[in-house]
Amino acid sequence: MIELMNLTKRYGRTVAVDDLNLSVTRGEIFGFTGPNGAGKTTTIRMMAGVLGPTEGTVLIDGIPMAVDPVAAKRIIGFIPDRPFLYEKLTGMEFLRFIADLYGCGNGLFREKAEGLLIQFSLYDWADQLIEAYSHGMKQRLVIASALLHDPRVIIVDEPMVGLDPAGIRMVKDLLRELACKGTTIFMSTHTLAIAEDLCDRIGIIHRGRLVALGTTDDLRGTARLQEGDLEEVFLRLTGKETP
Amino acid sequence: MNDGCHLLTLLRPRLLSFKNGGDSRSARNRRIRYLLFVAIGLAFWVGAFLIFYRVLNYLQGIEEFGDVLARKLLAMVLLSFFSLLVFSSIVSSLSKLYLSRDLLLVHSLPVSGGKIFLARWLESTVDSSWMVIVFSLPVFLSYGIVYQAGPLFYLTAGMALIPLCLIASALSALVVVVVAVLLPAGRIRTVFVFFGLLLIMVLILTFRLMRPERLVNPETFATLVLYLREMGTPGSPLLPTTWAFDSLNAALSGHKGETFFHLCLAWSCAAALAFVVTWVAEGLYFVGYTKAQTTAERLFPLREGLSGRRHRFSERFSGPAGAFAVKEFRTFFRDQTQWPQLFLIAALIVIYLYNFSVLPLGQAKIKTIYLQNIFSFLNMGLAAFVLTAVAARFVYPAVSFEGDAFWIVRAAPISLRTFLWVKFAVYYLPLLILAEILIVSSNILLQVTPFMMALSVVTVFLMVPGVVALGVGLGAAYPDFQSENPSQSVTSFGGLLFMLLAAGFIAAVIVLEAGPVYAVFMAGFHGRSISGLQWVWLVVSFTLVIFLCILAVILPMRIGERRLQG
Repeated sequence: MIELMNLTKRYGRTVAVDDLNLSVTRGEIFGFTGPNGAGKTTTIRMMAGVLGPTEGTVLIDGIPMAVDPVAAKRIIGFIPDRPFLYEKLTGMEFLRFIADLYGCGNGLFREKAEGLLIQFSLYDWADQLIEAYSHGMKQRLVIASALLHDPRVIIVDEPMVGLDPAGIRMVKDLLRELACKGTTIFMSTHTLAIAEDLCDRIGIIHRGRLVALGTTDDLRGTARLQEGDLEEVFLRLTGKETP
Repeated sequence: MNDGCHLLTLLRPRLLSFKNGGDSRSARNRRIRYLLFVAIGLAFWVGAFLIFYRVLNYLQGIEEFGDVLARKLLAMVLLSFFSLLVFSSIVSSLSKLYLSRDLLLVHSLPVSGGKIFLARWLESTVDSSWMVIVFSLPVFLSYGIVYQAGPLFYLTAGMALIPLCLIASALSALVVVVVAVLLPAGRIRTVFVFFGLLLIMVLILTFRLMRPERLVNPETFATLVLYLREMGTPGSPLLPTTWAFDSLNAALSGHKGETFFHLCLAWSCAAALAFVVTWVAEGLYFVGYTKAQTTAERLFPLREGLSGRRHRFSERFSGPAGAFAVKEFRTFFRDQTQWPQLFLIAALIVIYLYNFSVLPLGQAKIKTIYLQNIFSFLNMGLAAFVLTAVAARFVYPAVSFEGDAFWIVRAAPISLRTFLWVKFAVYYLPLLILAEILIVSSNILLQVTPFMMALSVVTVFLMVPGVVALGVGLGAAYPDFQSENPSQSVTSFGGLLFMLLAAGFIAAVIVLEAGPVYAVFMAGFHGRSISGLQWVWLVVSFTLVIFLCILAVILPMRIGERRLQG
């Protein structure tokens, strides 16, 4: 469903992502982690089509992002790490705006939008301006808007930032449920416990290169650890281990 | 969904935000601000109309070439409008196309880069043009009334302005889209602002060196024919302003066919350029947007060796206040977008001083020494107004420049009062030096008396702290920590209030000094001694000036501190 082939991004002399090859299958929850500045957000932005790669290809359900970005984006739900929302729009107006652009602003919109607003505990705030929302509420609205068009692929950068424990539980359950229905989820996270708990496979990126890929057990093997949690594996593989 | 619908949908957040602005929590405050803006705008509008009306009436009274002058003035006005439009379009399209915070969201949506470009370009065109259109209306209205033009002229004015705006906006966007492929947008802004300001500087200098004052004095020309030839030179037929001028000129004379022909030229060029820019953007816009997300490399990279001297310098400041002062210096000089502004200030000073050097004092019938001192007195006020303009650009946004990092100030072991006084101290000295350079150099050029020189130096010395404190204080009272470009906060309510209060303060000081100084000067001029009453007047006036200057420092700083705390 997602295929990254020789994906490279250079910022001047800095190589942010270096020859990344990766494929994620339908219905899989893929966790993408790595130290700060490793290239996670750059990779995610290239996958979402908001940043052009220097070299390489991004295929979303077989559609090359560089060749037909509109078709590729139509099947993606993108949730960035620092989402932008139009502060002077109400929650419902924002959802309508997104729905119109994804071509799902037809007769079923109201029902769908209200369902999502109820699910994300935003229904009572639907007609309030977004500027009045808390950080967590804005994050929930962004997630709701990304689900509005029933995307086949969800690309999410740090999904749990700003959410309360109930929100985190709800999002985790939702992602599992979506994956069961066949939605592919690619999420970057620093919260290793969530990655371990939620993801089928995990990729660790370090200095722009994929240094490990697989299940938690596979990663343990790569790190040559008999036991230990993902945190220990991460620290061993990224060379951040304390002596 | 078809492309037209996409375009409208992309524009909808802007329209809805505008509509919802009235429902916002701060709606009441905003309404008051709008009223103030409308009042100030109306005052400028009426002022522009009255000035043009009077000038045109005066020109109508000049036989033979009054009409030529009036039409030449119209051509010059159109050229000025077009230059303004191009400059503001470049800045606006750069921001709309590459630097806006919502671009990450918009580019993740299933809409082609070409559609995004078109929506953004339309927004940018409206943003950069509406003010020029609004303030051009009194000019056209005064021409219409003075020339007793019919509806054709007013219709032509509207029909000529729109393509002018579109052409300026399309040309600017075309340049921006092409250059964005070569340079990151952050850097383009610096480069464009730099070259834009350089261009303005060159234009102003060229205009000044042409000595336009000669044109109102035909005696400086050898013959009337030579003068008329100079005035009647037509503009280039390839310039969009020439088409606008020719259509308006024809409409003033009631030539419908000619008007239509020139309007067609303007509209066809606008349509062609709109097509070309959209076509180019379809291929290049996303490439440039990707480049814009790259951090621009510094023009002059920081070198480790260089910091040695700076460290020794910064070690002189200790404690939190010192840390803030050092941070203020560093962030100011490392922000490359500030540099072009410094060039502009240098250009302003050169032009300011040049104007004094070419004043035809010797030709005046009034005694030169009298004029020189009058000018020196007015110069005090003018220098203070220049200082206000500089403060509006640098000092007023100083608090807003903290942006999202303002929490550091809140959390730091430093009071808001100290924080504001650090800001004051950082800007006070450079502005004092600037103002004193202006006043001393212009007084030297005017060859004023030692008394006027001393008075000017002391008055400016007293006024600078007031202007700086007004800037810091009101900037703190009306901060905008969310702004993408805090320098623009000067056009906000607080910025306008600052400029009004600073202008009022300067005017009050000048008015208080003017009376007694005139008395002293006239006494010296006629060789009389100053009377007792005049002495009292002198002492009371200067005491009030000192009191006013102290008040201008303390009051805004306190208000700023209180509002920032609240």
